[in-house]
Amino acid sequence: MNRIVLISGIVIAAALVVVLFVGLGKDPSAIDSPLIGKPAPAFALKAVGSGQTVDVARLRGKPAIINFWATWCGPCYQEHPTLVQNARVLGNDVQFVGIVFNDTEQKIQAFLAERGSAYPTLLDDSGKTAIAYGVGGVPETFFLDRSGKIVAKYSGPLTTEELQANLAKAMK
Amino acid sequence: MIFLFVLTLLQIKVPDAQTVVGPPKGLPIAGAQLDQRTNEVASLLRCPVCQGLSVADSPSTVAQDMKQQVRELLARGYTQEQILSYFEHSYGQFVLQKPKFQGVAALVWLLPIAALIFGAIVVFSKAKQLEQGPAAVPDAEPQPVDPYIARVREMVEKS
Repeated sequence: MNRIVLISGIVIAAALVVVLFVGLGKDPSAIDSPLIGKPAPAFALKAVGSGQTVDVARLRGKPAIINFWATWCGPCYQEHPTLVQNARVLGNDVQFVGIVFNDTEQKIQAFLAERGSAYPTLLDDSGKTAIAYGVGGVPETFFLDRSGKIVAKYSGPLTTEELQANLAKAMK
Repeated sequence: MIFLFVLTLLQIKVPDAQTVVGPPKGLPIAGAQLDQRTNEVASLLRCPVCQGLSVADSPSTVAQDMKQQVRELLARGYTQEQILSYFEHSYGQFVLQKPKFQGVAALVWLLPIAALIFGAIVVFSKAKQLEQGPAAVPDAEPQPVDPYIARVREMVEKS
């Protein structure tokens, strides 16, 4: 009996150690998106400034990057130059779209005027588009292949290396 | 009014629950019942940017947007099950405060029950052992008789 209790204790403790080791090694903010492998949720929002309508259906044909951000988000300031720079270089082959939620058009325009812009920025004022994409914190970026299917999601500020590594999945 | 007009102009089409969970399966609700059901359903959803708070309890803007959407869906007649499915479609099982009884998540329900059964077995078997008294000690080798003790016994028996 004592041996059974001892062995059971060791098995339970070992299982706990494995769970903690795996769990603590993960980034708590990185949540796997259930949308990966599925068509991008539909939306048609007007671009801030130009008033041009961007429909997700029209993004098909080229790989696309949809970046959720906001002017009140600190890491978004850090990420913005990377996105603008890459959009200027890859603009002919990849479609970039920014979606801003819980923000005002005035603040977005001021942000873009100061920090530059190279692609349409859409306002999701009700937050419904962000919810449909399962966005928690910003910035979060979705990578779509030519058919409009989500192939990758990145949480946190992107670097050029991370952007290109995820984009490679969308280019296949 | 102007604000609503600008909002309508900016948002031509937003994703709708109908494309994910189909048409409403319940009846539209309003008033105090809508307030109550909104809180109940929102308390079943986890706020994605908080530590251990439900959408009903969190003051964060993301949670407020989610709560507002719960309210709109209930008002249109969507059932609790449909609403939870809609949010699960975007956020995964993570967003459910009560994990579903399927896959690895089933362990969350099964492990405590298994631990209880195991504990009960241990307690029951220990209690049974105590009831039976200490285990019989195997016969030890006969101890050498102390001549002094033997003499005392002999005297006692004689008296």
